[in-house]
Formats: sequence, structure tokens, C-alpha cells
Amino acid sequence: MSDPALGLLMLCLIVVVIMMGFPTAFTLMGLGMFFGYIAFYQPHQLFTENQVFDLMVQRTYGAMTNDVLVSIPLFVLMGYVMERGALVDKMFYSIQLAFRNVPASLAVATLIVCTFWGIASGLVGAVVVLMGVIAFNPMLRAGYDVKLASGVITAGGTLGILIPPSVMIIVYAAVAGQSVVKLYAAAMFPGFFLSFLYLAYIIGWALLNPKIAPPLPEEQRRVPVADWLRKFSAQYSRNVFVGLATALVSPSRAFAIETDNGRVNYLWLVKNFAYSLVPFVIVAGTLWLTWWYVVIHPQAASEAVSEGVQQLGTPGLATPEPVPVDQGPPQAFYWSFGAIVLICLLWQIRYYSRLDADRLEVIKLLSTSIMPLGTLTVVVLAVILFGITTATESAGVGALGAFLLALQAKTLDWKRTKEAVFLTAKTTAMVCWLFVGSALFSGVFAILGGQALVEEWVLSLNMTPVQFMILSQAIIFLLGWPLEWTEIIVIFVPIFLPLLKHFNIDPVLWGVLVFVNLQAAFLSPPVAMSAFYLKGVAPKHVTLNQIFSGMMPYMLIVILCMVAMYFWPGLTLWLPNYLYGN
Amino acid sequence: MTVQQTLHTIDAISTWVGKASSWLMMVLMTVVCVEVFKRYIISAPTAWIFDAENMLYGTSFMLGGAYTLAQNAHVRGDFLYSSMKPRTQAGLDLVLYVVFFIPGIAALIYSGWIFAVESWSINEHSTVTANGPPVWQFKFMIPLAGVLVMIQGIAEIIRCVVCLQTGEWPSRLKDVAEIDVVEEQLAHSELVDEESRKIAIQRAKEIDEAARQRGMGGELNT
Repeated sequence: MSDPALGLLMLCLIVVVIMMGFPTAFTLMGLGMFFGYIAFYQPHQLFTENQVFDLMVQRTYGAMTNDVLVSIPLFVLMGYVMERGALVDKMFYSIQLAFRNVPASLAVATLIVCTFWGIASGLVGAVVVLMGVIAFNPMLRAGYDVKLASGVITAGGTLGILIPPSVMIIVYAAVAGQSVVKLYAAAMFPGFFLSFLYLAYIIGWALLNPKIAPPLPEEQRRVPVADWLRKFSAQYSRNVFVGLATALVSPSRAFAIETDNGRVNYLWLVKNFAYSLVPFVIVAGTLWLTWWYVVIHPQAASEAVSEGVQQLGTPGLATPEPVPVDQGPPQAFYWSFGAIVLICLLWQIRYYSRLDADRLEVIKLLSTSIMPLGTLTVVVLAVILFGITTATESAGVGALGAFLLALQAKTLDWKRTKEAVFLTAKTTAMVCWLFVGSALFSGVFAILGGQALVEEWVLSLNMTPVQFMILSQAIIFLLGWPLEWTEIIVIFVPIFLPLLKHFNIDPVLWGVLVFVNLQAAFLSPPVAMSAFYLKGVAPKHVTLNQIFSGMMPYMLIVILCMVAMYFWPGLTLWLPNYLYGN
Repeated sequence: MTVQQTLHTIDAISTWVGKASSWLMMVLMTVVCVEVFKRYIISAPTAWIFDAENMLYGTSFMLGGAYTLAQNAHVRGDFLYSSMKPRTQAGLDLVLYVVFFIPGIAALIYSGWIFAVESWSINEHSTVTANGPPVWQFKFMIPLAGVLVMIQGIAEIIRCVVCLQTGEWPSRLKDVAEIDVVEEQLAHSELVDEESRKIAIQRAKEIDEAARQRGMGGELNT
């Protein structure tokens, strides 16, 4: 048997043995060992001198010193701590109140919670079960269509593996030799774009056919306004923002109001005024950050560089004309930025002129339930994306931040800390041992010439890049039915990677397409796991077929998203190219 | 000692080592944060930090391998597997443990031992920086992790044999699972009604298992 044929045999065997359900890491090691031994076999050598042993230990040590994989335990730890520290039911409740006047408000709130949760953790099962308990029954009780309700939970639940910071992206980065940061930046827009498409679909459907998502009854839409706040707005003004501002100047009338814990005092007023400023601070902060990054940061950086440089050699000799470096952003940026600022300003004025007691309560609820998680993720992502620190460093800081936030919210005790740490150990060991096994396996596969054979065969098909893209994504899609993402990314993706160069496909774009593709695979009946998780918590009358037919439209939306990503690569590649250049 | 006790003793050893080494991840987190502070705030970076990070991470995941195996948490293509009868599962596992696992891990121990001893005999230091820390102790983690995984693998083989005889999988030590977060989130929830909360908490494990079988275990197929 020729070597390349052995390679193909090895590839077929791995598929068969994975299907038999043996732990994949050890299957890879065992198969790699055997075929490697045959590949390196020299008749005059002793049994123990075979080079496969060297290959094995080198690959293992390579995984142990892989500077990309180091960030896995840190991100995983951050996720586990957050998911134990954040209060998902409070999040759902406050978002639902905030969107109470939007059509299909419960479904919209479900999707937003899932997106937020996806930022925190990458587990599919737990999210679907949790949302099944917290959101599914209220939706059914409110008279929502079963398909709408089940579709939004299952589709939202799988978002977690796509939205950064996700472990899948780190593993792909390690396999493909790409930068983690770049991949995070690339997955950013498609992830939120997908979530936006889901949202547009839900709201659009509910607008066209209001029967599928009847508005909530009045008593569930009422915001629980504290008693003192009612008295307060009666005393001062219907607009609490104006009222609080006035009260800060002349607080005497406010001090007369009784609350549950004593009379209103000055600190109390300041606190509430600060809450009312939260929306403004968020908008202003976002705008300032954009301005800082686009205008101030590059100037400061270029000045810093020129200050520190000393000319070597003979000074003054053949000094080139200073090249006119980037003179800031193009003119169009200033215009559009100005327009955006103006729009935000008008919106803020409108918002604050209508800020009544209800809205202030919603702001308070939102700030206490989502803000901690939101702030942490925004900080972690911003720090990674702006290239301030490496992925490992931001993961470490993020994990510490998650601990601090959970401690502050008093949701973390010793037992939960231990659980988070032990789960981290198990997940990391699972991913990294798989990586060790596959490193040996793919090494042997390449030595046997299996890789070259696959490449020759694919190239002999004379495919266009589009055809190759469709073929590779279709294969990944089919593999996504029986397998988990870990196995797909670690074992099968490396086979396609060398081919991308022949077809001039950007590995970053292709990788993000794979991530989105796996969403579709995990939503396809009859193998989608999330459907079974939801079925487990759903009332008896909800059938599996209803859940599946609820998922179908979302699967089509994912495919639509992939098509959009292919025809409009800027969606994926604009952010990484803008942040890190080419 | 009965077979069951032996199994639990081995499980306990693997679990203890795995849990102990899992705290290295907390150390890793602290080291990274301290270094971020030193590097970006007071501009005093440490030279050996890159090696230290790798060693903490590498040691921690290698020693966690046996723990993960003891908790049956290594990823497996359980699509068909989980719908089989326990006897069939055990038979398949037994064959594959003998054919793939033992040679693979034995090779890891053997090659890792040579690798580490060679490194130790020359007192190898890291070359990431000019004056790197010693790395031979880190390399000894490979054979050590291999031995631990091998011992746990032998326990798994015994489990297969027991299961072939009795038709039932021997028990494992209880440990935290990912799905436990359902209980933690719902236990004190004031916004979810009592009944659905209780049902979900009780059935979380069952739901997890059934979902992994994707309805092939019967029961859910309605």
C-alpha cells in the first residue's frame, strides 16, 4: 500500500472511530501513533528508535507552549464566572420592560439576553434550558406562536459559540496560524449582524401578523415605580430629569417624602440623578471613544514615534523628505461623524424631555442587571480590538474583572468559585488534549502524503473559488450534524486550510464563514441539540416537530447571512483591516 | 478492596491531581494581571513572564487530562454511541482502549520520559529570553501526565469489563457539570414561578443526557 493511500485510510478510519464514540483525543493519538510508526519504519532500526516518538513528544510540547492556546483557560474561566455571577432572570425582566412597547417584546428580550449571554459563555445547552424556563412559558402564556417562541430560543442559544470572545475562535486561530485579535475583529460584525437579522425577522413577522405575538396584558407591562418616586414627580415635575435637577438645587420638598428606609436624603437624590445620566454617558462615551481612536490616537502615536527615534550613521546625510504620513481620517469622516453626533444629540434631547418616572425605573433596572456584564465585555473586547494588550492579557484581566463584578453583585461564594475553576480545568483539558492528539495526527497525515493527495485531487477538479467555497462549507455543514465544533475545527478544518491559498481565499473570511456555518448546522433538524434541550423543559403539548419547524426560518437566515458575507466581504474584513491594516 | 472501591480510589487520585492543578489557572490569571499592571501602568515588564505563563497553562491542562477522563468529559462523538445499550458501549470502548489508548499513551510516557531526561541532563533553560528559567521540570509533566492518564485509562478498562458482566456502567464520583448552572441561576429566582423552576432543576441532568442522544434514546420522540 502506498503512503498517500495509507493517509486516506487513516482519514477514513478516524471518521469511523469518532462515530463509534471513543474519546476523540485518544483516538487521534492512537491512530497517529500507528500510522506514524509505519511511515517512519526503517528495517534496520530498533523498535524504540522510530522517529514517531520524537514527533509525538514534540507535538505535545508544542501544544503545551502554544502562546495562542494560553488564553483558552482564561476566557473559559471568565465565561464560567460570568454565567454564575450574572442574574439572567433579572436581565430578561428588565429588558422585557424596556422593550414593552415593541411588537413581540418577549421574543425580542429573549434574543437580546441570548446575545449578551453569548458574549459571556459559549455553552449551548445551559442557555437553552435556562431561557426555556425563564422565557418560553411566559411567551406561551402570553399567546405567542409556539414556532416563534421555540425558534427564538434555539437560535439565540447557539449564538454563544459565534460571538466573541469565544473559545472556538481561539482554537481556529491556533489551528490556522491566524491572529486571535484579527479573527475576533472579523467575527464581531457577522455575529451582531446575524443577531440583528434575527431581530428584524421577529419584529417584521410580528408587524405583518400581530396574531402570532399578542401584546402583553396591561398589568404585565406596568413598570413597578417606587412609591417615593411617584410622590416626588407629583411634587416637582412629570419629567423626573428636570425634577431631580431642581431637587438638587432646592431639596427641601424632597426631604419631606417618606421612603421604605427613611426619608429621602441628599445622597439618595444624587444617586438617582446619576442613574438618569446613564444613557447620556453611554452615548457620549461611545462617540468620544470613536473620536479618540480615529483622530487623537493616530496623531499621538505618530508623535510618540518621531520623538524617540535617533538617527543612526552620519546625521544629515541623505535625509529623505518626510513622507506625508496619514494626515488623519478623510474629510468624509468628519461630515458623517458630525451628522451622527447631531442625530444622537437630537435623540438625547427628545429622550430626556420625555423622561418620566417609568423610564427612570427601567434605566435603574437595566443598569443594575445588564451594566456589570455589559461593561466588562465592552472593556475586554475594546482592549483586544484596539490592540492595547494581547488576547492573553485581556483574557486574564477579563477573568479578574468577572470575579470582581460577581463579588460586587454578591453572587459569588466559595462553592461557585470552586465550581468555575474545576469546570475551567475540565474544558481546557478537553480542548487542549484534543489539540495534542490532532497535532500528532495531522503531522502524520502530512508525512504520509495524504494532505498532498487531497490537494491534488481537489485541484484536479478545476473548481472556481466560489465552487470550492460552497463545497468546503457544505462539507463542514454536514460534519456539524453529528460532531461537536471542537472536533470539526481541530481535525477537519486543517485539511482545507492549505487549499485556501490555491483559491486565493482569505483564511480569516473562510474561518468566520465556518463559524457562521456551524450555527446553521446546529440549527438543522433533526439533529440540532438545542431543540432537544428546549423540548426537555417545554410543556408536554409542545412537540419536537413544532420546535424544528420554528428553527427552520432561522437556519435560512443564517444561510442568508453567509451569502451576504460572501458577496460583501467588507462586513467581515473591514474591521480587522481597519484596526490592524493588511 | 472491591472493584468499585478500586475504581473510586483511582478516580479520586485523578480528580485530586486535576483539581489541585486547576488552581494553577487562578495563579495564571493573577500572574497575567500583575504583569499587565507592571507592563502598562508602571512600565516595568518582567522577562520570564512568557515562560511562566506557558508553564502554568501547560502543566495545568496536562495534569487535568486524567481528571477529565475520570469525569468522562473528553469530547466524544456521542451521536450514535449514546443511543447504544451499555453492553455494546462497553464492548466498543474496551476494544478501542486496548487498540488505541494503551499504545498511544504508552508512547507518550516513553517519549516524554526520554525528552525530559535529556533536557534534565543538560539542565536546559528556556531560550525565549537570554537568561530563561529552567524548562526540564516542565518537560517532566509530559510523562507524569501520561502515567496519570494511563492509570485512569486502566480504571476505565476495568469499568468496561464490569459493564460487560453486569450490563450497567459502574458509578463515577460526583462532580460539578456545566448544566449545574441551571440550578444556580434558578434556585433563588423571584421572577420564575415555583413549579417550572423545580422541574427544571430536578430534570437538568436528564435533559442534558437526552439532548446529547438527540432523541435516539426514545422517550422524547413525540
